[in-house]
Amino acid sequence: MKYQIVIAGFGGQGVVFLVKVLALCAGNRDLKFLGTENHGMSQRGGAVSCDIKIGDFSNPVIDRGQADLLIGLDANEALRNLQLLKEGGHVVSNAQDPFPEGLPFQVHTIDANAQALAGEFPIQGLNVFMLGVTLATVPDFPFSIEEIETALRQINAKVADQNIEVLHHALADAREMGE
Amino acid sequence: MKETLMGNDAIAWGLIHADVEMVSGYPGTPSSEILGMVQKIKSKLKLPVYAEWATNEKVGFEVAYAGAIAGKRTAATMKQVGLNVASDALMSAAYIGNRGGFLLIAADDPGFHSSQTEQDSRVFAKFARIPVLDPSTPQDAYDMTRYGVELSERFETPVMLRPVMRVCHAREIIEMEDATDFHPKEGKFVRNIPRWAAVPRDGRLQQGYEALDRIEAIAAYNWAEHLKPRFDALEGKSDVLILASGTGYAFTREAMEELEVEADLVKVEMPYPLPVEEIRKRFEAYEKVLVVEEPYPCIEEQVMDPAKVHGRLDKTMNRIDEMKKEHILEAFKKLGLYEGKNIYAPKLTFSIDVPPRPPALCPGCPHRDIYYAIMKVFKKSKSIYPSDIGCYTLALAQGAIDTILCMGASVSMASGLSLADPSKTVVATIGDGTFFHSGIPPLINAVYQGHRFILVILDNSTIAMTGRQVTPERFNQTLDIGRIVEGMGIKCYEHTYSHEMHKNIDFFKGIKKIFESEEHQGPLVVRVRQFCILDNERKDDWVPGEYAVVDPELCVACDQCTTVYKCPPMAYNAEGKIEIDPFLCAGCGGCLEIVCPTDAFKLDEEKSGGKQ
Repeated sequence: MKYQIVIAGFGGQGVVFLVKVLALCAGNRDLKFLGTENHGMSQRGGAVSCDIKIGDFSNPVIDRGQADLLIGLDANEALRNLQLLKEGGHVVSNAQDPFPEGLPFQVHTIDANAQALAGEFPIQGLNVFMLGVTLATVPDFPFSIEEIETALRQINAKVADQNIEVLHHALADAREMGE
Repeated sequence: MKETLMGNDAIAWGLIHADVEMVSGYPGTPSSEILGMVQKIKSKLKLPVYAEWATNEKVGFEVAYAGAIAGKRTAATMKQVGLNVASDALMSAAYIGNRGGFLLIAADDPGFHSSQTEQDSRVFAKFARIPVLDPSTPQDAYDMTRYGVELSERFETPVMLRPVMRVCHAREIIEMEDATDFHPKEGKFVRNIPRWAAVPRDGRLQQGYEALDRIEAIAAYNWAEHLKPRFDALEGKSDVLILASGTGYAFTREAMEELEVEADLVKVEMPYPLPVEEIRKRFEAYEKVLVVEEPYPCIEEQVMDPAKVHGRLDKTMNRIDEMKKEHILEAFKKLGLYEGKNIYAPKLTFSIDVPPRPPALCPGCPHRDIYYAIMKVFKKSKSIYPSDIGCYTLALAQGAIDTILCMGASVSMASGLSLADPSKTVVATIGDGTFFHSGIPPLINAVYQGHRFILVILDNSTIAMTGRQVTPERFNQTLDIGRIVEGMGIKCYEHTYSHEMHKNIDFFKGIKKIFESEEHQGPLVVRVRQFCILDNERKDDWVPGEYAVVDPELCVACDQCTTVYKCPPMAYNAEGKIEIDPFLCAGCGGCLEIVCPTDAFKLDEEKSGGKQ
């Protein structure tokens, strides 16, 4: 299997946490994993994106037109990284406004910020929330809900229950969206 | 044992599994996590390891190098521009050599992600005549760290490990030793004055001859151990031979698979010293040779044959900036290896306008307020603002910085600028970490020669930009910046940051008055005590939890807050009014007075309640 994922957001949103979760998922199934981070000099608030390559790869960078999936924790950062997607690839993004028409990709957007503002989940859980939306909307996503739950427990047992709650909240929301 | 590790973590484990017992260095992206991880392993496994941040790279290098002279296995870590600072020590150490293994880890940053130059440390190793290893993945980094320490001990020379950002900050599931069986060597300095204290001319000339012989022997070893077996295994798949090193190898391998290109590919693990004659002999079986490496043409220059060798020098590859597989695809096309389409072309045929997100200080960062106050008091038209390397460099976004050169240069450039343009007031800024690193000698210079400028030391008590490493003063409070300055015979004016902006402005008004008074001579030094908003140990003592909202009736869209104050949560909404992103606002309260000319920033009573 070969699967390439880009996660885009800005500093403080927990992009790297998702990389660690997916690395654990890959390791648990004995799949090869390479990842890398792209960020400038900002500590908080600057653009951050991570490349994740699962399967037999030798370098961690994802080139333009190659990614199977782009997860956007922020709409602008997702749009900024669209060029990395392959034709027909999935983009799953937190976004207030719909994405432009006519993109050669499969687009799934959800206004996660509005939900967090309404108190449906804590904003610190935005990363896990978007992972849940991805699980519900992307059929070829390489990991199952159970595998993600296991990884969430491995990475931080203390807050695992809260994270898993956010994950299931997102799954329910995204399924409702699809109906 | 399989572990998911970042390249820098893999290097740290490699050091421990090579029985390296002393690690010293200075933080710098992308190298910083190496020493931090050694410290974590040390405390987790309770190992008798010295792993400490030095005041700068030269000091760090020398501490570790001395350990290796005394027979211990040691390492120094730094980024590539840090190696410039340590280079004086390196050049001589390359002549003298060492008894215990000594690994110099210099991390490069092709693509200028967070460095002011794109220099190639492999070329520095060649300049110093020491061997260099170039890992292509975190697994390589782990293996080569252990190998490098052995190599250094075997040939009694410093060895450089040169990982690039895509190795340091890559994550991979790697295979490493199951258990840590740590056996440090006994440290015993053996007096050998002709060696450890060799002086010009005869002593150093003799060592120069020995160093030449040594590097020749290592080149022969490189051939026998690494390159010959690889060349012997080639199958003559095409008339183009590819030599690739580090990430260049990883990129090339992947591009070949994806483009279905068949060619002979040799991985060069030790790009210097190369057995040039042997390699050139192998060129005879090929019409063309492509060298893929970054960022400088280090291998290419060594094996150069203008009739055959292609790479960066003849622009077959990209000359600058980080390598992409698209560059390799282009090179394959130029050399006739590939005729297909560009699979790395974007699939999106129209462009989407996305607002840029330029680097900025964190929401709640006190640097923003101090720079705002400095600009309010020392007007831009009448001042020059030299600054330095650190988080505060990001005050560029506020227009509060005029020059950036290298670590510590704010102080010496303030000297030069004040001499060259005395009509302006020079207000230099430097962080506490950078002041300790290399700001002290130029301040002594300025005091001794009486240069007239203001130096503001932004003391947040941490090396913030590289991940909040500890500063000398925080570790040991006897190292007081104020007393260091006063030791130069001048006063150190103290200010404590306040989220009430008028207090910062009033302080600098007072400083301006003193600086312009007739009694004042020479440099005027200010130390502002502040904090880092990401410093969980200290920030709660400073942040008042005063969250801001905008009164849309009062906002006149004047751009003051988005240009001179420049706090990331502030942006225009659809109605053309400033709105504060509630997820980003840190509750510092810095914008609540003076910043808005119409006082549109108001305290969000509901959100701030209970936190005051």
